[in-house]
Amino acid sequence: MSIDNPETMETPTGEALAEAPILTEVLPELPTVMDEQDLIIETRNLSKRYGRLQAISNLNLQVPRGAIYGFVGPNGAGKTSTMRILTTLMKPSGGEAYINGYSVVTAPREVRRSIGYMPDFFGVYEDMKVWEYLDFFAACYEIPEAQRPGLINDLLELVDLAHRRDDMVDKLSRGMKQRLCLARTLAHDPQVLILDEPASGLDPRARIEIRELLIELAKMGKTIFFSSHILADVNEICTHIGIIEAGQMVAQGPIKAMRQQLMPHRVLVITLLGRLDEAKEALLHVEGILGIVDLPPEDGKIRIKVEFTGEDLRMSEMLQALTSKGIPVVNFAEESSDLEAVFMKATKGIVS
Amino acid sequence: METPATRTRISLNPLRPLLRNPVALKELRGRMRGPRAFVVLTCYLIVVGGFTTLLYIAGTAATYNTTGEVDGGTLGRVLFGSVVAIELFLVTFITPAFTAGSISGEHESQTYDLLRTTLLPERQLVFGKLFSALAYVFLLLLAAIPLQSIAFLFGGVDVEEIVISLLVLLATAIFLGNIGVYYSAMTHRTLRANIMTYVTILAVILVTTAGAVIALAIVEGLDPSTSSSGSEWVLLVARGIFVCLNPLTTLLSTQQYLVNQQTLFTFKYTFTDGTTTTLPSPWIAFTIFYLLLSVVVFFATTRHLKRIEG
Repeated sequence: MSIDNPETMETPTGEALAEAPILTEVLPELPTVMDEQDLIIETRNLSKRYGRLQAISNLNLQVPRGAIYGFVGPNGAGKTSTMRILTTLMKPSGGEAYINGYSVVTAPREVRRSIGYMPDFFGVYEDMKVWEYLDFFAACYEIPEAQRPGLINDLLELVDLAHRRDDMVDKLSRGMKQRLCLARTLAHDPQVLILDEPASGLDPRARIEIRELLIELAKMGKTIFFSSHILADVNEICTHIGIIEAGQMVAQGPIKAMRQQLMPHRVLVITLLGRLDEAKEALLHVEGILGIVDLPPEDGKIRIKVEFTGEDLRMSEMLQALTSKGIPVVNFAEESSDLEAVFMKATKGIVS
Repeated sequence: METPATRTRISLNPLRPLLRNPVALKELRGRMRGPRAFVVLTCYLIVVGGFTTLLYIAGTAATYNTTGEVDGGTLGRVLFGSVVAIELFLVTFITPAFTAGSISGEHESQTYDLLRTTLLPERQLVFGKLFSALAYVFLLLLAAIPLQSIAFLFGGVDVEEIVISLLVLLATAIFLGNIGVYYSAMTHRTLRANIMTYVTILAVILVTTAGAVIALAIVEGLDPSTSSSGSEWVLLVARGIFVCLNPLTTLLSTQQYLVNQQTLFTFKYTFTDGTTTTLPSPWIAFTIFYLLLSVVVFFATTRHLKRIEG
């Protein structure tokens, strides 16, 4: 399964794609984190127990300022519990959690001022217009009345709902409600956005819109901490990733470092029409080769997997070694060490 | 285009400071939007008005005096008392219905977490919910004042009585509203909050009525030759407590003292041994007690909401 193009994967019919030319566009550039040590979210040995169930155990979360941090794990791994603790909705059973330097237990008000939170499931009020909804939450965040109309217009502009300003909230589509809720989390200009499964239940177009919005927000300097069980989302927009399983952090860090750390070898798949032994012999003379494994043949063609370390030059040398001997190579491609592989390697499949 | 801000700047609305509470503003907007608020008010007035008409017809037939004329004073008091009783009944039913879903409804519609992560103080949430519900109940009470005032046409009722009845009704509504919001905050389920609120109200009504009746029966049955004034004091206070805990008995006995003793704030009690004492009128005790209790319940609700889920 490829995860490079998740939208096509989840599109039930071709029509959605035809309506959404946006799907084919190049992924935008991600923001860069200036200082890996400047943590805006930090937990130390965070634990949460529900009766006899240990939901989170000794979780050490480290989210640097300015990061887009993907918090990944199977359902039931403890993502929502962690987020509810970070958003002051729940007390931890043990350990500490800090946002922007404030403890979620002893300084909940300062924490709330620093965060914008979007839960995985949320409702909207009936009997309310879109602008009234934002006005209400802006008032709850103590934004002075005189500033609110301008702020509401800006927020609606940002999430592309300006044309629905006077519509009733419950008449909006799911994707629009999600965007409205995102606008709501931004009312008090928080430094951190904590988003629980922001893309779940959305159609492909809405998902991409949310994704682009998140990147835009990150560029505005906001730290984004979001959970997901869809690896593709994380792969495309995250600068950092944390993988949680059964309440424990199994791996975390900058996404590039994670890929290298967990998948230090590069893997090449070569398809041949014949002369397998000669090919293996030729390849063994190239430097950096760690091993050659036979893969099951496909359509009668021989396939081998070559593990190696080093630069792209090695690949070029390998191809040269094969073609110089006239070995019939029909496909020669590196298997990208994608996030799925990283994830499978990191997790043990305890919860799924 | 006119923005909401420009509208507020020129507003002369005296309720403006109260509407700075975002919850109150949102709730009032939602409550008054659409036909529901109008329909409830209309039905309420039809019920109260219908009963008043029936009572008028029945009353004119029943209060002919010996000269063959209608006794205006008696008819006026009967009409007034009946309208207040109906209002009391409706307030007792309507107020919990408006408040028991206030906090639990936020849980049920999955909006509570969104609210809790804002900077909105818990007391503002509780106050906003309470204020918007009570504002509507007050509207119902005010709308029925013309019906209460029909009694003026017949005499026998003073303005003070209307004011007192309104005070007792308001204190009742405020207390019931607080009870409704309290259970709503405690249970997370509107249905359960409704049941608990109505059970509490029913218990208060039954216990106070039974207590007042029993205490009265004992007092009536006292033998002046054997009873001490000490034991009579205990009984008097006990009966007073029961009477003053129930809005209906409070109103009835206040009316009784007003008619018999022509006093509004105090009444004289004559012991079986002939000595007398002056006590405050029941409506004062009722209003003060329930307003104080409302404050206590309000803070209990706020305290509960402040607790972070363990």
